[in-house]
Amino acid sequence: MAATQARLATQQRPLVRRTVLPMFTKSLVDSWRSLVGWSVGFTAALSLYLPIYPSMSGSSQMQDLIDSLPTELTRTLNYQQIDTGAGYTQSTFFGLMGFLLISIAAISWGAAAIGGDEESGQLELTLAHAVTRVEVVAQRFAALAVKILALALVAFVVVLFWNGPAELDIDVANLVETCLLFGGLALVCGSAALLCGAITGRRIWGIGGGAAVAVLGYVFNAIANQSADLEWLHDLSPYYAAFGNSPLANGTDGWTLALFYLAALVLGALAALTLRQRDVGV
Amino acid sequence: MRAQPARLWPGTGLPRLSTVTTLRTSSDTAVEAIQLVKRFGSTLALDGVSFTVPRGSVFGVIGPNGAGKTTIMRALLDLIRLTSGRATLLGTDSRNAGPELRRRIGFLPGELILEGRVTGRRLLRHYANISGPVRTGRVEELADRLGLDLDRTVRTLSKGNKQKLGIVQAFMHQPDLLVLDEPTSGLDPLMQQEFLALVSEARDAGQTVFLSSHVISEIQQAADEVAILRDGRIITVAGVEALRDTAIRHLRMSATGLSAAELEGRLVTLAGMAELDCRATATGAEATAVFGGAITPFVQAIATLNLTDLVMEEPDLEESVLRLYSTPEAP
Repeated sequence: MAATQARLATQQRPLVRRTVLPMFTKSLVDSWRSLVGWSVGFTAALSLYLPIYPSMSGSSQMQDLIDSLPTELTRTLNYQQIDTGAGYTQSTFFGLMGFLLISIAAISWGAAAIGGDEESGQLELTLAHAVTRVEVVAQRFAALAVKILALALVAFVVVLFWNGPAELDIDVANLVETCLLFGGLALVCGSAALLCGAITGRRIWGIGGGAAVAVLGYVFNAIANQSADLEWLHDLSPYYAAFGNSPLANGTDGWTLALFYLAALVLGALAALTLRQRDVGV
Repeated sequence: MRAQPARLWPGTGLPRLSTVTTLRTSSDTAVEAIQLVKRFGSTLALDGVSFTVPRGSVFGVIGPNGAGKTTIMRALLDLIRLTSGRATLLGTDSRNAGPELRRRIGFLPGELILEGRVTGRRLLRHYANISGPVRTGRVEELADRLGLDLDRTVRTLSKGNKQKLGIVQAFMHQPDLLVLDEPTSGLDPLMQQEFLALVSEARDAGQTVFLSSHVISEIQQAADEVAILRDGRIITVAGVEALRDTAIRHLRMSATGLSAAELEGRLVTLAGMAELDCRATATGAEATAVFGGAITPFVQAIATLNLTDLVMEEPDLEESVLRLYSTPEAP
């Protein structure tokens, strides 16, 4: 024992390297599998929808079919503009399948980041180490943002890939903006999940909060599409704020983009403040 | 103490006596808890707990489940926020303390839950990234001593091995203060001894250890001072010697070639013998009792018996120490 102490006392202490942002790095490293899985899902969904566009756009049968659908349905699904490449991609992917997939990914990541970690009992030990609660939230929020933007990048690359072969004729600048909006909308949902998880310390409330933003946003948009009397519901819908002006066809402005990322930052900051105030793991 | 210049308490402009005390003692006090009160709703978990842990000492907290041991530790680590009172760790107020303080603390939670998907080595590297630096080879050294395989996925480890992993993460960065909640739970006796060796080495190296336990022998072996906690209050802070004298043991023995009355005659006169119950058996007699007296007279009393069985069982603390301390007026 004495020898051990002597050794401890005299030995030079070569140090194990500390990473700069340990929680951020770990959060990314831990979810690379899930990120790959979602990317495959995105690619598959896009590669199912986009290549059949040429056979649908020129076909009067397709237009007849859409015309025969109840207008409520086509308005809900935003299928009125399905005859352009941009409208088709918006309606089938960004507005529907892609939105669903990225929202699920963002909400599950967001809910797990703090609420899930606390519920499982692991957050307690992390917070006992040399970090502040604000750092934990900030780094995990940053990791959430990076993962969501990575998915948006996958969408961008795959749509760009099919743009020519599927005769979509989408403007690349508009595509960039749409993908940023797409990621921004998902980040708002994921941040809401992170905030609700940080408030309650429970994963399920995080999922509930994030899903509420995503689903209500979609539902309000769909209802508001039905009649002018209900149009005010558009103002309550993040979904409409992102996709209401057909960004893939018309582009968007910097303010709208900034709004989403600012909103997500505010939600993340609220999560940090909430977690800072309360008892953890009780 | 009065001669010390009173430092102004930030924000109030008023001198605070406790601040003066902290100034005076911050170099030789590792933990100073002042009137810790914690309410959870209507439950009073801590009811004005105060204690001081000198640097370089081992301080034990014992008490039954729900007495507030874990609550004290979690409050020291700032995981939960005190309703009133304050705690100073290594000279720093624990409330919203920065990472620099936590880097100097090693914590082992009572209910240890670790991420299951990674290997022990990866998990430890993660915590070392946060709280390091950790000396190269330190983790392997600790794992070797505890007999822990670092390359197994955490999920596949037994409870005892997970506990070892928890011990390694608390000790690896050689923190000035170790806060260990029921550290030996799940460890086999051999590993408990190894753990106690780690604790005494830490003390010898100038580290301070604050630990809770159910096991009286462990506290006796490791701690310099012991606080006995019950219902959120410290009943007494005692040196270990005082505690040893109060320990009671469950006694069970059987012997051949004598009657129950003869056996009783040998035992009943011993000081500290209680609840003595002697019965005849087919070949002799057996006895059960609760024994709190000195060991030597007992051994002398039974030395000439033809014993077939002798068990002296250490009771848990709740039964021995607390029974004595909670009813000091009882005869």
